[in-house]
Amino acid sequence: MTALLETRGVWQRFGGLVANSDVSISVGRGEIVGLIGPNGAGKSTLFNLIAGVLPPTQGSIWFDGEDVTRMPAAERCQRGVGRTFQVVKSFETMTVVDNVIVGALVRNTVMREARRKAHEVLEFTGLAARAGVLASDLVPAEKRRLEVARALATEPKLLLLDEVLTGLTPTEAQTGVALVRKVRDAGITVLMVEHVMEIVMPLVDRAIVLDLGKVLVEGKPADVVRDPKVISAYLGDRHAQSA
Amino acid sequence: MDKDFSSRRRRDLIIAAVLAAIAALVPLFVKDVYVQNIMILTLMYAALSQSWNILSGYCGQISLGHALYFGLGAYTTALLFMKFGVPPWFGMIAGGLISAAIAMALGYPCFRLGGHYFAIATIVIAEIALLLIQNWDWAGAALGIDIPVRGDSWLKFQFTRSKLPYFYFALVLACVAWFVTWWLEDSKWGFWWRAVKDNPQAAESLGVDVFNSKMGAAAVSAFLVAVGGSFYAQFVSYIDPESVMGFQFSLLMALPAVLGGIGTLWGPALGAVILIPLTELTRSYIGGSGRGVDLIVYGSLIILISLALPRGLVSLFSSRKGAAR
Amino acid sequence: MTTETIIQSLASGLLMGLLYGLIAVGLALIFGLMDVVNFAHGEFLMIAMYATFFLFAFFAIDPLLSAPLVAAALFVFGALIYLLIVRFAMRAKANAGMVQIFATFGLAIVMRGLAQLLFTPDYRSVTHSWLGGKTVSIAGIFLPEPQLVGALVSIAAFAGLYFFINRTDFGRALEATREDPGAVALVGIDKNRVFALGWGLGAALVGLSGAIMAVFFYIYPDVGASFALIAYVTVALGGFGSVFGAFAGGIVVGLVEATTALVLPPSLKSVGIYAVYLLVVFIRPRGLFGSM
Repeated sequence: MTALLETRGVWQRFGGLVANSDVSISVGRGEIVGLIGPNGAGKSTLFNLIAGVLPPTQGSIWFDGEDVTRMPAAERCQRGVGRTFQVVKSFETMTVVDNVIVGALVRNTVMREARRKAHEVLEFTGLAARAGVLASDLVPAEKRRLEVARALATEPKLLLLDEVLTGLTPTEAQTGVALVRKVRDAGITVLMVEHVMEIVMPLVDRAIVLDLGKVLVEGKPADVVRDPKVISAYLGDRHAQSA
Repeated sequence: MDKDFSSRRRRDLIIAAVLAAIAALVPLFVKDVYVQNIMILTLMYAALSQSWNILSGYCGQISLGHALYFGLGAYTTALLFMKFGVPPWFGMIAGGLISAAIAMALGYPCFRLGGHYFAIATIVIAEIALLLIQNWDWAGAALGIDIPVRGDSWLKFQFTRSKLPYFYFALVLACVAWFVTWWLEDSKWGFWWRAVKDNPQAAESLGVDVFNSKMGAAAVSAFLVAVGGSFYAQFVSYIDPESVMGFQFSLLMALPAVLGGIGTLWGPALGAVILIPLTELTRSYIGGSGRGVDLIVYGSLIILISLALPRGLVSLFSSRKGAAR
Repeated sequence: MTTETIIQSLASGLLMGLLYGLIAVGLALIFGLMDVVNFAHGEFLMIAMYATFFLFAFFAIDPLLSAPLVAAALFVFGALIYLLIVRFAMRAKANAGMVQIFATFGLAIVMRGLAQLLFTPDYRSVTHSWLGGKTVSIAGIFLPEPQLVGALVSIAAFAGLYFFINRTDFGRALEATREDPGAVALVGIDKNRVFALGWGLGAALVGLSGAIMAVFFYIYPDVGASFALIAYVTVALGGFGSVFGAFAGGIVVGLVEATTALVLPPSLKSVGIYAVYLLVVFIRPRGLFGSM
């Protein structure tokens, strides 16, 4: 069976800066995959390439058996790619439920159905009690949750989570982890970018470590954390690696 | 939630219907032509501002050049009528369609521009159109067009003996603009527009076609404003470029929505009902002495309201915030 | 059309452009500092012109001498407007952009009304001055003295501004506030003071240009409107908030206006400016010198 998402030899250059070099990764159906790496490793760039914010300089991106390399973000969403933003981008002047309805409209053309779907998702993500509140009045952890809810309302096959667990209190992070599991149990594949390894390792089936724009190591979380290459990348001992 | 929501929508509709019915009865008791004139202008500005609000309030693309569409509506109707004898009703539709088409043609390059660059582009485009018309002899150039009066008739949309037909048309126009907003507010378009206004990148990630959202808003907005322009041409039966297409007029059109509550269902109407009579009254009672006192009062009011109530007058009705809720 | 005519009109376009830059730079400064577009900018110019006129009419002070006085008066005026109005507009929690546009638009209307009330709608002019109506001939090109001096003042003002922003403590505070208002508060700079001074400085520059404009332009309550639009285009053309961009934008506007006047009837001369603005932003959505 083919992977749900695949990047084939993806490069991204910004002027002289190489953010991703020859990155080939794949995400299988039903997996939770963690994309980790130190700051400046190129995680966010790769994430944005997959979400369709910009096309790669070179290489191709395949989703669900289709070449989506040059497909704009909105169309990818229709194909089944949902995403959150690292810096939350709520629709601040809209209520929580209205935020989610925007997502639900991708698969529901009738307003009443979109609204029902939105309430369903709010129930699922534990935001139901906040449905009528303006998004600008939510606390930060709730805003993260709203990002997830909005993306889920688009009924994605693949959910891209950009540092949704970073910066939360331990209790909030735990609820977040539970939510991600719940999402996977609902049959949605998850690719999550996280900077802090400790949070994601217990959660993911597989981890891909990026460093200096390249895939450094890939494998089971337990193996990855013990890999000397990963340890030195995180400790900043780059000289040993780049040689 | 769902129940709250649909009952609020129904309540909005009922309130609007009651208000429209009351408005329709007012001329039966108020025979004063001066007052009727103010009411007609109020309704016209309510309609215009409501239409402006669709593009700028809901979709967040601040246009400071909507006088262009008003002028296009007025000129299309007046020219077709005067030069070719085409009844104003057709001119109205033609003006609306031409405006919508032009709004989309201009939107194509302009919607790539952000914030102030977009706003200034809208001013500049309207200003170019103004200068061109001022220099277009066939269309009356800077002097404008005196629309020939051919007697009272609904077909020619001219009424010399009574202002009432104009009043009722303006009322219908205001109601249509309100209703279109009400209807679109709870539609895919309404949600797309607000999403685009708040955060275009997030909107895109949720499958929103950002560009076409803006195009749709521009077309609807321009069409309705142009119909207002055609109405105005018939109502005053004399138009000149500066008064229908000037920059000031673009701002005046936006003002009721901004003061009433930008991006809200009730804001433009509320703003117009308070602002227009006040403008007209200060103009005739204080402005009569010449000397600009009316401008001082009017300007101070704008400053005060915009500073004290950034969400507009609708925020005074705290339980009801139109679209903001 | 002879080569002389072309050179002649380009030269006067250049001079006028430098003046446009001076008129616009206050707008750019304020925008760069706090993201606010002052819709009463034209009215600032208008009162500067009136101030110059009255100093001339009552005290027979030549505009060239009164220019610093007018600039100083406008400085105070600009700072006051910030403290009394704009400061509150910036606090708006919702629709901040619209509140700023319409608060300053309301101010513009009030100022126009006041001008009508106090000065009457009559057209005034500085009937005789050291520069008015005189021309100099340089290499066969005739240049009107007011515009020539205006252009020189503009160049000097821009040089001074450049020095000021880069070399003085206040200039650096201005720059720092513009980059990160939050961080600036942490190091003990009072944001409001910097903004008030920024408004004062912006208005003072308009004051300077108003004094020169008064020499060769009629003065009436609505005079600001036409220059305001040119100023917005100038600032946007240069790239919002870029002080150097306003200088360059002004030159472009002046030259384009002069060129348009060569081919189109005078009443259409602004069309060229507007068309060039559109052309530039369609290609470079953030103006000539705007940073991405």
